[in-house]
Amino acid sequence: MLFDALRESLLQQIAQAEHPREKAIDVMCEIQKHYGYMSDEAMKEAAGLLGMTPLELEELATFYDFIFREPVGRYVIQLCDSAMCLINDYETIRDHLCARLQIGMGETTADGLFTLLPACCIGYCDRAPAMLINRKVYGYLTKQKIDEILDKLIAEAKSS
Amino acid sequence: MYPQVLFQNRKPDRIATLEEYRRSGGYEALRAVLQSKSRQDVIQQVAEANLLGRGGAGFPAGKKWALVPDDAPFPRYIVVNSDEMEPGTFKDRVLIHADPHTVIEGIIITGYAVSAKKGFIFVRPSYESCAVILEREIEVARQAGFLGDNILGSGFCFDIVVHRSGGRYICGEGTAILNAIMGKRPNPMKPPPYPTVKGLFGQPTVVNNVETLAFVPHIMRNGAAWFKSLAATESAAGTKLYCISGKVNRPGCVELPMGVRLSEIIEEHCGGMLPGSEFKACLPGGASTRYLTPEHYHVPMDFDSLKAIGHRLGTAAIMVFDHKTCLVKVTLNLMQFFARESCGWCTPCREGLPYMRDLLERIEYGEGKEEYIPQLRSMSQHLWNAYCALAPGATCPVESLLTFFEEEVREHIRQRKCPFK
Amino acid sequence: MPRLLIDDREIEVPPGTKVIEAAERLGIMVPRFCYHHGLGSVGACRMCAVKVLRGPLAGVQMSCMIEAQDGMVVSTTDGEVVDFRRHVIEWLMLNHPHDCPVCDEGGHCLLQDMTVSGGHGLRRYLGPKRTYRDQYLGALVQHEMNRCIQCYRCVRYYQEFCGYRDLGVLQIANKVYFGRFEDGVLESPFSGNLVDLCPTGVYTDKPARFKARRWDLERGPSLCIHCSLGCNTVAGARYREVVRQEARLNEAVNGYFICDRGRYGFAYAGHPERPRTPRVDGRSVTWDAALDAASNGLSRYAPEAVAVLGSPRCSVETLAMLNRLIAAMRCQHADYFFTDAQKNNVRQAVGRLDRTLAVSLREVESADCIVAVGVDPIAEAPMLALAMRQAWRKDAAIAVIDPRPVTLPFAFTHFAAPPAQLNDCLGGLVKAALRRDSAAGVGAAALEFYDRLPSNYPFDDADREKLAAFLPHLQRSRRPILICGTDIVSDATISLAADLAALLRAGGEHAGLFYVLPGADAFAAAHYDSAATGSFERTLEAIEEGAVKALVVVESDPFRHFPDRARLEKALGKLDCILAMDYLPSRMAEKAHIFLPTKTLFETRSTFINQEGRLQVAGPIHQVGVPIWQVSNQGHPPRVYGTGIPGGEPRAAWEVLADLTARLTLAEEKGNGQDPWPIIAGDLGLDPEQKPSPLAAEGIRVLPEKAAGLEFAAETSFSPRDLPADQLQVLAVDWTFGTEELASYSEIIQQVEVEPKASMHPVDASRLGLQDGQRISIRLEKGEVKLPLQVAENMARGVLLLPRHRRLDWQKSAQYPVVISVEQIVADKSARHEAG
Repeated sequence: MLFDALRESLLQQIAQAEHPREKAIDVMCEIQKHYGYMSDEAMKEAAGLLGMTPLELEELATFYDFIFREPVGRYVIQLCDSAMCLINDYETIRDHLCARLQIGMGETTADGLFTLLPACCIGYCDRAPAMLINRKVYGYLTKQKIDEILDKLIAEAKSS
Repeated sequence: MYPQVLFQNRKPDRIATLEEYRRSGGYEALRAVLQSKSRQDVIQQVAEANLLGRGGAGFPAGKKWALVPDDAPFPRYIVVNSDEMEPGTFKDRVLIHADPHTVIEGIIITGYAVSAKKGFIFVRPSYESCAVILEREIEVARQAGFLGDNILGSGFCFDIVVHRSGGRYICGEGTAILNAIMGKRPNPMKPPPYPTVKGLFGQPTVVNNVETLAFVPHIMRNGAAWFKSLAATESAAGTKLYCISGKVNRPGCVELPMGVRLSEIIEEHCGGMLPGSEFKACLPGGASTRYLTPEHYHVPMDFDSLKAIGHRLGTAAIMVFDHKTCLVKVTLNLMQFFARESCGWCTPCREGLPYMRDLLERIEYGEGKEEYIPQLRSMSQHLWNAYCALAPGATCPVESLLTFFEEEVREHIRQRKCPFK
Repeated sequence: MPRLLIDDREIEVPPGTKVIEAAERLGIMVPRFCYHHGLGSVGACRMCAVKVLRGPLAGVQMSCMIEAQDGMVVSTTDGEVVDFRRHVIEWLMLNHPHDCPVCDEGGHCLLQDMTVSGGHGLRRYLGPKRTYRDQYLGALVQHEMNRCIQCYRCVRYYQEFCGYRDLGVLQIANKVYFGRFEDGVLESPFSGNLVDLCPTGVYTDKPARFKARRWDLERGPSLCIHCSLGCNTVAGARYREVVRQEARLNEAVNGYFICDRGRYGFAYAGHPERPRTPRVDGRSVTWDAALDAASNGLSRYAPEAVAVLGSPRCSVETLAMLNRLIAAMRCQHADYFFTDAQKNNVRQAVGRLDRTLAVSLREVESADCIVAVGVDPIAEAPMLALAMRQAWRKDAAIAVIDPRPVTLPFAFTHFAAPPAQLNDCLGGLVKAALRRDSAAGVGAAALEFYDRLPSNYPFDDADREKLAAFLPHLQRSRRPILICGTDIVSDATISLAADLAALLRAGGEHAGLFYVLPGADAFAAAHYDSAATGSFERTLEAIEEGAVKALVVVESDPFRHFPDRARLEKALGKLDCILAMDYLPSRMAEKAHIFLPTKTLFETRSTFINQEGRLQVAGPIHQVGVPIWQVSNQGHPPRVYGTGIPGGEPRAAWEVLADLTARLTLAEEKGNGQDPWPIIAGDLGLDPEQKPSPLAAEGIRVLPEKAAGLEFAAETSFSPRDLPADQLQVLAVDWTFGTEELASYSEIIQQVEVEPKASMHPVDASRLGLQDGQRISIRLEKGEVKLPLQVAENMARGVLLLPRHRRLDWQKSAQYPVVISVEQIVADKSARHEAG
């Protein structure tokens, strides 16, 4: 299922580690870069590359916030809902995102572009309220800024 | 302007380069240490400097390194904790973006002090930019001969690897981080054995916060006495990266002498409270600490002073709340964070935190009952018998809410709604 | 020895004892979930909290995590700690479905017990409960996750203790889930222990589901008789059949666990076709009539014309009385083993064991180096694999010399030597590890033996590398253990193993010897068997010659075990009188002219001696009779009034034999009800006043102080020759499920069996033009065996393995192993799938 170049690259990375299991998260994140999420098939293949059983890899995958075991949209929005963002308009931002995208928290838009997920403190409390989209941080959010960001991403998706 | 140690090369929109770091004296300490100091010398100097761990626990760094037995087996490892998922904390991000090489040099010297062969920098997923910076600058340092085999002709071999986390708060715990790196589920592992005896891959390992290690080159270059002299209070040593966020004009990360007063931090270094906001409370060291009230407004922000009044400095991530903020709502939010981030190993944390969150939810949303208050109190006490420090930390906001703001809680119950809405 | 005070009561305990254990010794059961003596302490559940009143550890502590210290003062009843434990129970019950009325665990549920004793009664939590989807885990273990209290016992047992990798812990926080990656049969053959371990009803005994409440069961101590290890069990019966078995703790044998074959193999006892009435010429008769027919029939013949056949699954009571019968009839053909090879092997093994050299199964766990030869633990004696794993977990190095594709749940060095080269490999390996001067230090005989040891096993490059890695461990070891099978090896291997163990021991190390025998009571059978006579093979010759005209078969089925079925059928057809007694619906029972039904070990007190010479007793569990569901067919039992129990005719084999003996010798006493124990004690040299109880902690060891055989006298020159390229050696082998006689009658085990396949090395397969999965036909002397082929890398070349599977007619050769030409193995042309 994994294309050859990716498989090669993963095997090389694994070979560099003293213990293959060290690379478990890296392998899954690398696969996610290409396929968006870790499907059952991807889990089995990745486990094989790492010398782990699918169950052993699943024990890790289901533990972490940034490994997705269900399909996600092209852009994964992780909106921080911790204390500093909370007292800095988080609720307004959240409601605006849900309204704009027509989805609830945890859902994906029908066109497959955006998935909206909660995130715990992402470490940008000085720029609250903040969010990550595909691990890139956007801070000092306002409703207007949200619109600008989303519009930009939609345009980017259309052109590619 | 206070003397800047870690931030002396800080630029507004880029990292300090290797050249800039070296111009300010960077890597001279490494050279001197490799040429003329033994590992015991390093440990001793760092211990004398009273460098306390900056990750929240405040354990003396030199003392921790000395716990690696002389006859401990090889290989040995350094694990640098840049997981930093304590709400309110972002100092490590700012540090790495300011001067990655002070971090790198600190790790190498620490590696030398315990005769380690490899350092792992553990970086959280939302700090991808930090991981990229570190990987790039590690390569730069390697090219310059500061990493790899036979560093600066000394025979010492050391390398650093960046390990990206999958993203969970518990990974920042001192033993869970080892499991995370090894590709196991990152549950904490209660000692014995201690990581310094049997840690990563069963080998002696030293785990330190990234800010802690960043001080090491400066201590080695300028001496223990110099480091101690930087602090604002007698018992403290060195400077500290304070993160301030919340209802202040200029949230951010500033380097100040250890022990500067809270009032000074808020008023002089953050531009004061927002217009129309009065100081009501703050969490001094991230979400796992107790609320400080106006009564504590002038407390010196160092480990001992806070301990003396029954509080904790933690990561010195100051979260400031104003009179318009509902602390029940904030405490509920913190409890939601902890309940979600529990690793699920031990009963009190896994089940007790959601239970407390449920009670706080009912209080906040108008369904609270009087009896919830003693329930929350007793559970806060019992949660101190959990397996690791996550659950006890989680009780701090709740317990201090009930201690200092019980009236506010009772108002919620009496009015059957949040009075701040 | 630390001396401490718990609840004002003093106790002294060995250093290293945890406080929770110390309390147990005082009879104080500190509440616990995640702590299990067999799995160790992890401190996850927080239920075992106690208050240490004085000292450096003063305060609330988890009693499973702290060691008892001298002068410690502990309170389990302190108010703070009692309140804390009550909270822990409340927290655990937050998400629990409270479905005791429909949960099998009710009545033996640790959560129920702890909830009541923890003082949690009223639910005040108003929030939602988290729920899970359950998984299909196979036919043996039921999965109901909503009841989980996340004690982590299951994954610690499954992964750490057993070493299997398909069950684990998923998710995080209070959504933590225990299960597989996806639905599927659990890979571990020890998965049944999850049912015992789980403190709630997450894992329950699936075959026994909803059959009985715990307090409905007649429970008693029993033994597993599906291999020679003698693991201890508890059997529970209801409505005249055994419903389930659990593991029983025996610190000397199996510890806390048993394998799935032992746990679920019991259903042979309730088999719907189990013969329960005495029969003469196919007609049901009374006992008296049958016994009369038997004694009349047998007394017609001269002593040399009557043969007797027992088996290694007969209990010691049966063997003792059979011995009496043989003496009374002055039989000259008395067999306990089916082939000469089997008999020689077992007698050799039993003869070489003595108290200093023999180690128990538990002691295998403490070995620091293990060399196993000619044994496939998971297939033959699964719990042995588990014991070896515990040694491995403590850094023991393990090597297995065996032609089969041995798999074990831990890393080991495998030398896939073909049978002809096992001895060279073993001898060469041990010789390479020992220094000549340490052998010299033992004595002249040892030195001479050492010099004789073979050192020309053709280790190829891969083997040489393995040897280089393994040898230092054997050289350094202070507690090496030699494990030797008795199935596919020759008796030369068995005596070689004993001498090598003696050599290792004499060099100043605590070396041990461990044999795996073919059958639960093989040790006793070997004791009663005589060196003078041959095995059933000789008897068969005598039958064919017409010298033997009558055969008495006691709890034995040669049709199952004898390699040449056609010959057996023909020979038995010549007999005038076949008397058989058994509890299995076997071919032998069908063929017998006179058949007498006997009781299983669940119905009568039965003694067995395990491979280590440990005598243990299984107590009776229930009255013999047809299980009620078989009579009533889910309805009400027929309203027929009588004094007997339907199907209650079977009698204990020893009783039947005593009765028969009495009739044959016209003795005054019928022998009914005479306790066989004094006779057994006499036969084995034990104290007749000390009758062992089924509940005895560790059984009685019957080994002599010193072995009878001559030390260092083993054969050491083997001159094995490689088989020519156009020949293969066919071996009959055992599998975990499907080959063991008793378990193969269990409908539960039948569900977990896999289809029988032949095994071959890929080099041989490609030489023959065969592929993995292809159906093949093997033309043996007495017929064809057709089955799929399985190609395995990790086995010997020049060898073809045939499982003695109940679904396979494998008994088509005069003997096994047998050498055949490659032309005798072809692709199976017939397209139809042959039924077993």
